[in-house]
Amino acid sequence: MSTPSRIAGDFLSLLESRQMASLNLPRELPSQTEATTVFAFRFADGVLVAGDRRATAGNIIVTDSVEKIIEIDSTAVLAIAGVPAMAFEMARVLQTSFEYYRRSQLQPLSLAAKVRALAKLLRDNLSMTLQGVGIVAPIFAGLDPTRPDEAAKIYFYDPLGAQFQHLEFAASGSGSSTVKSVLTHQLRFGSPKPAELDRKAAVALALELLATASSLDSATGGVDPQRGLFADIRVLAVDGIVRIGEDEQSNAFKGGKR
Amino acid sequence: MTEEPYRWMEAIENRRDYVRDQLRGGLAVVGLSLDEGVMLVAIGPGKSKIYEVFDRQAMAGLGHPADIEKVRQSAIDAAHVESFTRDPEDVALRRLVSYGMGPMMKTAFEQVFQPPLLTEWLLAEVSDKRSDDIFYRLHFDGVFQPVQGAVAVATLDSDGESRAVHWLKDQVRKKTTREDAIRRALECIWLLCEFPAFPGDVPPEEERDAGWRKLVGERGVEVALLERETERMARYRTLSGDDLPL
Repeated sequence: MSTPSRIAGDFLSLLESRQMASLNLPRELPSQTEATTVFAFRFADGVLVAGDRRATAGNIIVTDSVEKIIEIDSTAVLAIAGVPAMAFEMARVLQTSFEYYRRSQLQPLSLAAKVRALAKLLRDNLSMTLQGVGIVAPIFAGLDPTRPDEAAKIYFYDPLGAQFQHLEFAASGSGSSTVKSVLTHQLRFGSPKPAELDRKAAVALALELLATASSLDSATGGVDPQRGLFADIRVLAVDGIVRIGEDEQSNAFKGGKR
Repeated sequence: MTEEPYRWMEAIENRRDYVRDQLRGGLAVVGLSLDEGVMLVAIGPGKSKIYEVFDRQAMAGLGHPADIEKVRQSAIDAAHVESFTRDPEDVALRRLVSYGMGPMMKTAFEQVFQPPLLTEWLLAEVSDKRSDDIFYRLHFDGVFQPVQGAVAVATLDSDGESRAVHWLKDQVRKKTTREDAIRRALECIWLLCEFPAFPGDVPPEEERDAGWRKLVGERGVEVALLERETERMARYRTLSGDDLPL
C-alpha cells in the first residue's frame, strides 16, 4: 500500500513517500572521525592524555601545530577528535560553564556533572553528527574536586553522547585502533604495564604510541622530539594538571627507548 | 513623591544616611600589590568577604551579605558573558566597573522605592607587571574611582580610608614579605575598626598585633592572592594553612 518506512510512523519517511521533501538523509552514522589520534591511559602518578598536532582536510595537511588537548579547568582535560569547529566550541562552552559555576557557587562542579555536561553537548550536536559534517568523539579525563584523594578518571564518548568510563585507557581518532591495539597488548603482556610506569616512562610510551600511529595513519602527525616534532601531552596527578613541555618530551624519548 | 524634585532629593539624602548607618561597623578590606601578585585581606567567617570574579579579577566587599551576593553575582555574570562573547583576555576591570557595576549600583541607589544595596567594594586586577596592577573603589551609590598606587582600602569613612592608605603605603613600601604584608593589612583593619577616622598617632606594633588578633577572635582571616606568575588561567587562590603565615 505504501513504501515501508524505516521506523513505523517516521515523519521524514512519510514526507519522502509523498514526495513532499527531497531530503537525502544518511542511512547510518559515520563510523569514525576523519583524522587525529588522541588517547589517555593510566600510569603510576595518575592519567596521561596525549594527542598529535596535525589537522587535515581530506588528503591535505592543514597544519601540524594544533592543540588537541585542552585544559577545561584546573582538574579536567578534553582531548578532541573530530570536526574542530564543533570540538573547539564544545571546549569553550565547557570552560566557561565550569568556571562560571565554580566562581558563582563558590564550589567546584563534581566530575560526574562535568562528564554529563559534555554528553549533553554531544547530544545537542546530533543534527550535525547525522549530517556527517560535525561529528565529535572526544576523550575526557578529570579529577573529582569533591573527592581530592581519588585518582583521575578516563571517559570516552560515542558521537551521540553516550559516556563510558574505562579504567585503563581510551583512544579516539583515525589512529586510535593502532593505539588501542598497542595498549591492549601492553596491558595483557607488557612488563611493566602502563599503570606501573613512572612519569618519564609514561611520556616515552605516549610518544612511541603517537609515532607508531603516525606511521600507519597519514592523518596523524608524526612525533619525534629529536627532530623538533612534539606531541601535546598533559598529566593529571592528584595535585593537578601538568603540561609536559618539549624538554621533558626530548628527555623521555631518548631515541624511542624506555 | 518623585514628581517633586525637592522630595526626591530629600529621599536620596535620607537614603544615603540610611545606607551609611547600616554600613557602620563593617570591617574594612585591604588590597596590596606585591611582587607575587595582588593580595586581598579581610577579617570574616569563611568565604564571606573576598571573591574571585574572573581569571585576573577579584573583589572584596563589606556590607549586607544578601546585597554582597547580588553585586558579586552580577559582576561574575558580566565577566563570563564578556569572556564567552569575545575572549577571556577582553575581560577588564575598568570596563566591568565603569560600564557594569558602577551604573548598576547607581541605579539601585536612586530607585527610592526599592531597597538600596548596602555594600562598599574594593576590586582588583593583577597584571604581568606590578606597576600595572589596578584597584578600583566602588561605593554604595555607584561612585567609582581607580586607586593610584600599590595599596587600596575600602571602609565607610573616606578620611579614615585615605589616611589608612597613606599609613599602609609607608609600611609596605620597602621589600615586604607575604607575612609582613598580611600582618600590616590586619593591623590596618583593626585600626580602622577602633578609630574609624584612623588615628593620628598610630599605636606601637605590639598593641596593633594584640588588637587584630583580638578582633579576629572566632571570625577568622580571609586572604586571597591573584598570582602574577602562574601557568593557570585562573590566577585567584585563597591562602590558608602553611600559605598563611600568621
